[in-house]
Amino acid sequence: MTRVNGSRRSPLNAVIVGIGESTVGRVPHLDALGLQRMAAANALADAGLTFAEVDGLLTTPIRVENWAMPCGVVSEGLGIQARYLATLDVAGASGVAMAHHAAMAVASGQCETVLCVAGQNMLSFQSRGDSVKKLADAGWAHPDFEMPHGPLVPTLYALAAQRHMHEYGTTHEQLAQVAVTMRENASLNPLAFKKELISIADVMQSRMITSPLRMLDCALMSDGAVAFIVTTPERARDLKQIPVKLLGHGYGHSHTYIGDYKNVTTTGAVRSGQEAYAMAGLTPSDIDVAQLYDCFTITVLIELEDLGFCAKGEGGHYVASQGIGLNSPLPVTTHGGLLSAGHPGLAGGMFHLTEGVRQLRGQAQARQVPDAQVVLVHGNGGIIGLHNTLILGKG
Amino acid sequence: MTTPVNPLSSHQYWESLRARGFSLPQCQACKAFHFYLRPACPACGSLDIQAVVTSGRGNVYSFSIVYRAPSPEFEKDVPYVVAIVATDEGPHLMTRLIKVKPEEVVVGMRVMVSGWRIRDEPVERVSEGAAPPLFEPESL
Repeated sequence: MTRVNGSRRSPLNAVIVGIGESTVGRVPHLDALGLQRMAAANALADAGLTFAEVDGLLTTPIRVENWAMPCGVVSEGLGIQARYLATLDVAGASGVAMAHHAAMAVASGQCETVLCVAGQNMLSFQSRGDSVKKLADAGWAHPDFEMPHGPLVPTLYALAAQRHMHEYGTTHEQLAQVAVTMRENASLNPLAFKKELISIADVMQSRMITSPLRMLDCALMSDGAVAFIVTTPERARDLKQIPVKLLGHGYGHSHTYIGDYKNVTTTGAVRSGQEAYAMAGLTPSDIDVAQLYDCFTITVLIELEDLGFCAKGEGGHYVASQGIGLNSPLPVTTHGGLLSAGHPGLAGGMFHLTEGVRQLRGQAQARQVPDAQVVLVHGNGGIIGLHNTLILGKG
Repeated sequence: MTTPVNPLSSHQYWESLRARGFSLPQCQACKAFHFYLRPACPACGSLDIQAVVTSGRGNVYSFSIVYRAPSPEFEKDVPYVVAIVATDEGPHLMTRLIKVKPEEVVVGMRVMVSGWRIRDEPVERVSEGAAPPLFEPESL
């Protein structure tokens, strides 16, 4: 049984009161703004708020349409009169970062109610080949010294996976267990894009992309948008849902380009976790659900280690022995993650947060973890180098 | 001779590779090598950085065999080996391993600079015709 430390008041004095998603998967009839409008409307309805009551806006860049100033495009498109607005970009860490920035804006009195929204049709706006090329050209590898060698974005993570295997004896079968569990979770999630169950053999026989990572070790791509609403605890009293508190948050940045980083199996997640646990006054054993960022199967193993859920190097053994599914001691990424549920670019990590809120409210239906009191949501931006960790608790 | 007060430029680095052979940026204040180019020494912050010719040898720290090309210009090359090499001087760098069967590459194997596509005239950036060095299995 876990408990929330009540002796300490989080400096992030704000709560999450609304969550919502657009249709996820292949949604060609909506553009980015249409998807974001749908997600935002769902989040506001969930909270019992209207667009007119929003006075803060956070969004991210999108990668497929050309938006010069995303927060301006979204603010105008959704008809928001913002006293505070910004475009955040820490790539896959943006979802967690939005919650953190929104809480700071609210706690400092800059505004009262922040809409955080992002998403696009990453899948249907362009061909898969165009998406792969665009990602590869986006600068994740150093443009002068890495890009010319031809790495895919998955190659950059494969370098971490190969090294993890070398140092710790991690096997591909252990990595595959992550993908299998994410699909099991997604099969119970009505929103998820891919719901057909897969086996370890399916993962290990899927197309080799960049060794040791195969197709099913890699995040899918989908259309979709996600939104959540952050406001003051006082404002939350009049709203529909049980508010969710931000108990702790931390950043950790170990590297941007992976080529010259000398310890690719240990990341900035060590620091982001330590900072978040310290702010919340909690430890890894207090976490009931860990919404880990899962752009690749290896990412989850390394985060389990760096966030203190198992010892360094034991992530593979941990996943294979006690598991990370809904019935395991620590259910991980219960909505099915980027590997199976949805991944429309920078908004992908926001699903981890909305699912965390559902778990704390007791609204996760077939995926509900009994008596979930404390949820950790983790974001990872770039090539497993920029991390942020958010700890959420029941209001 | 005056002490340089500007960090090593991309032009100077590529020119060193072209004219003198495989080089790494080295801080002249603390003598630490680094890679890739930085606006200041990542160890001590000094701006006094020069391209210094080094052994061009190291160990494979990690690697991945790429089977799916990121864009059409790489399709003729697949499968190819992208690797991180831990140079004997310290810095790690990304490269491509050539003159080796992909299935024979292992972490820890000794490698050395193989050569690189670079036109025989001063260059400013990769996009103007240079490309960073490739590595191959070490021979003595």
